[in-house]
Amino acid sequence: MTKLSRRQFCMTGLALAGAAPLLTLGPASAQQLKGGTLRVAVLSELANFDPQQLSTVNFHVIKNLYDSLIEYTPEGKPQPSLATEWKIAPDKTSVSLTLRDGVTFHSGALFKSDSVLATLQKGADPKRGKNVFSTMSIVKDWSAPDERTVVINFKAPAPERQILDLLQFLIPIEAKGIDTVETVPAGTGPYTLVSRAVGQGLVLKANPKYWREKQPIAQDLVFTVFSEDAAATAALESGAVDIVYNGSSRSAARLKGAGYQVFAGPGPLVQVFRINSTRGPFRNKSFRQAFNYLMDRASILRVGYAGMGKVVALPWAPASPAFDDNYTKTYAYDLEKAKKLIAASGLSADEIKGWKLLVNGSDEPSVAISQIVQGSLQKAGIPIELDMRQGAEYVTALLGGDFAATFGAVGNVQKFPSRVTTNSIYRTSGNPILKDPHPHPDYVAAIAKVDAAAGGEAEVKAAYDNLNRVMVDEAFGVPTNSYDVGLIVASEKVGGITLDIDNLFIARTIGFK
Amino acid sequence: MKEALAALTSLLRRLLARRGPALSLAFLALVALAAIFAGLLPLDPLAQSIADSLKPPSAEAWFGTDELGRDILSRVVYGARTSLVTAFGAVLIAALVGIPVGLVAGFYGDWRDSLLMRCIDVLLALPNILFAMALIAVLGRSQGAALIAVGIAGIPGFARIARAQVMALRQLDFVMAVRSFGGGPGYIMLRTLLPNILSPLVVQAIVLASIAILLEAALAFLGVGVPPPTPSWGEMLRTGKSYLYEAPTYAVLPGLVLTLTILSFDTIGRALTAILDRDETNASGATIGGRR
Repeated sequence: MTKLSRRQFCMTGLALAGAAPLLTLGPASAQQLKGGTLRVAVLSELANFDPQQLSTVNFHVIKNLYDSLIEYTPEGKPQPSLATEWKIAPDKTSVSLTLRDGVTFHSGALFKSDSVLATLQKGADPKRGKNVFSTMSIVKDWSAPDERTVVINFKAPAPERQILDLLQFLIPIEAKGIDTVETVPAGTGPYTLVSRAVGQGLVLKANPKYWREKQPIAQDLVFTVFSEDAAATAALESGAVDIVYNGSSRSAARLKGAGYQVFAGPGPLVQVFRINSTRGPFRNKSFRQAFNYLMDRASILRVGYAGMGKVVALPWAPASPAFDDNYTKTYAYDLEKAKKLIAASGLSADEIKGWKLLVNGSDEPSVAISQIVQGSLQKAGIPIELDMRQGAEYVTALLGGDFAATFGAVGNVQKFPSRVTTNSIYRTSGNPILKDPHPHPDYVAAIAKVDAAAGGEAEVKAAYDNLNRVMVDEAFGVPTNSYDVGLIVASEKVGGITLDIDNLFIARTIGFK
Repeated sequence: MKEALAALTSLLRRLLARRGPALSLAFLALVALAAIFAGLLPLDPLAQSIADSLKPPSAEAWFGTDELGRDILSRVVYGARTSLVTAFGAVLIAALVGIPVGLVAGFYGDWRDSLLMRCIDVLLALPNILFAMALIAVLGRSQGAALIAVGIAGIPGFARIARAQVMALRQLDFVMAVRSFGGGPGYIMLRTLLPNILSPLVVQAIVLASIAILLEAALAFLGVGVPPPTPSWGEMLRTGKSYLYEAPTYAVLPGLVLTLTILSFDTIGRALTAILDRDETNASGATIGGRR
């Protein structure tokens, strides 16, 4: 009970913090926002226009070209979007959706149930479903009784939050454009594509038939790709752009001090010290557990992310229903406790050293925080070397499990807890690092228990508590801190910033004061 | 041996007679001594103190501290080791391979010359930095890999200079005389020609040393040099640029040391060239091959 109250308190605080910029604007101010050309600096070139291939590189375009079935408020409350109503069956084995009337795709075609069915079909296809595929694992089948209704059936009773996450993650794509969606956007979103210059940027213009009243405010939306964070912030300071999206925490902290508006969404990433428990000393549970205490989380947050984020011992953001701050206090940096666990492992001094910490050399925060851990390990009597790899070479090693330990961020940490299994280290089957059969059956069982907890609040809470306990006990992933992705730094002349639960960039409400 | 020592002493005296080279020699001597005896100084380039991160220069930390609270001066001093070892190793590799290639190519001047020079042309066609990065991608990121990459990139310089010098000397009387007395190719190349082409090679070694230091720093700046936490000037520049607003001295001071080191090598190289050129002219004016 106490835990729930604290969670509610945190979420309310978060909601207030997130809504503060909007609240200060007020309805009158929002109406006063003027249109024009909104110029946005981004730090990455988008991969493609497929909303089912959602990743940070296309965070800036997806919610501007598409709408999802439902939206979440920053505090995680579901809101209608393309679906105006959703009725979850009492036995939680199906959900019935009522689709919004009068919505058109960018091509001019009417939005109907056929596009939702085509989107579900794509999402359920292991080859085409990409990021959505794992979320579709609970879905048995679907049907469309009429043009405005879609019914999705589940394989087993599904927790309500998991159903809502699925609806929020489903972004309808026009049926006839589904095969070409990687190159030609096929959504209902507030902006349409005008042009794209690969490596330079893209230009969008307001969708004149957009269904949300008086949106979008800005008529034109211009994204410019910058390869250097410093160049993007310099462009903002010189007035060449109005907003920097997804820049570094360090720049955001500096610009905030200089009077710029900084907005952090509720969907951060969590940095996780990933341990390959199939290798060397990491097969030993006590040795792994020592790493819960070897992470100097406060220093990692301060040096790596300019203090913007939160130290955590579990892979959840505060908006997650499984978030529990008690673990952060219990597993604070403590060399003595770590040394006791190392001693309890029974491993010799020679056995615990000699492994390398894989480091993403392209990512400055990763390089810095890896050196902090290297220093902590040295103090604990574990001298190690850093294995620096760049770009694709690092990603290949990370996703292929070719490492003893490494830092890697995980996403979906503000959603239904079992969504964490979309991250490679936390996968329960086909885990590319830990392989099959999964070496931590207690963890697999804990995830299954969470997925099956469709009953009352007490059952759900017990399932979350059990998962949290198992995660720190098995210690193959040791979270250190959350940090902001999709940070928005805006000049004082723009207003109406809306925060997205996944920290995607929403331009439709932004205008000029 | 005595002659060589006397020549070196004379050369050093003439260098020291000029203000620029003298200052440069003094600076390089300071850097070299600091690098060699760093272990004896109360400096620890790896000691972290996060609470003291990004501190400006002070009495406790003359160059300030980095993002992990490490003493930047310590890292600059130990970084000199990285730079000088890379420079020395690269020059050694380049000279050991480049000079024999140039000697053989210049001495024979036949198909061996063509073959060896085409190989050198291939090396020359590759931009140094790209070649070094490709090699590091194969060998892995380490000081050894950086040293080998920079060394290989320096081979063409030595080979071409040695070849050009040998081609100019091989038909001169003193070489013909050795040949007529039964001197074999090996003897002529190593005992007759090599001592007479040393001057430009020494200058080339100094020039390459400065290029090697710069290239090592560039590789580290690009993120493919010596891996952290080993101190490296280029790595400090790379990391320091992210903190230019909070701690400008973090990047500026190591950058200044790097610049002064390159400038010193360059100044000495130019001065040596001038001195040796003057000797050459004087010698040519007196009697051809008089120095020989």
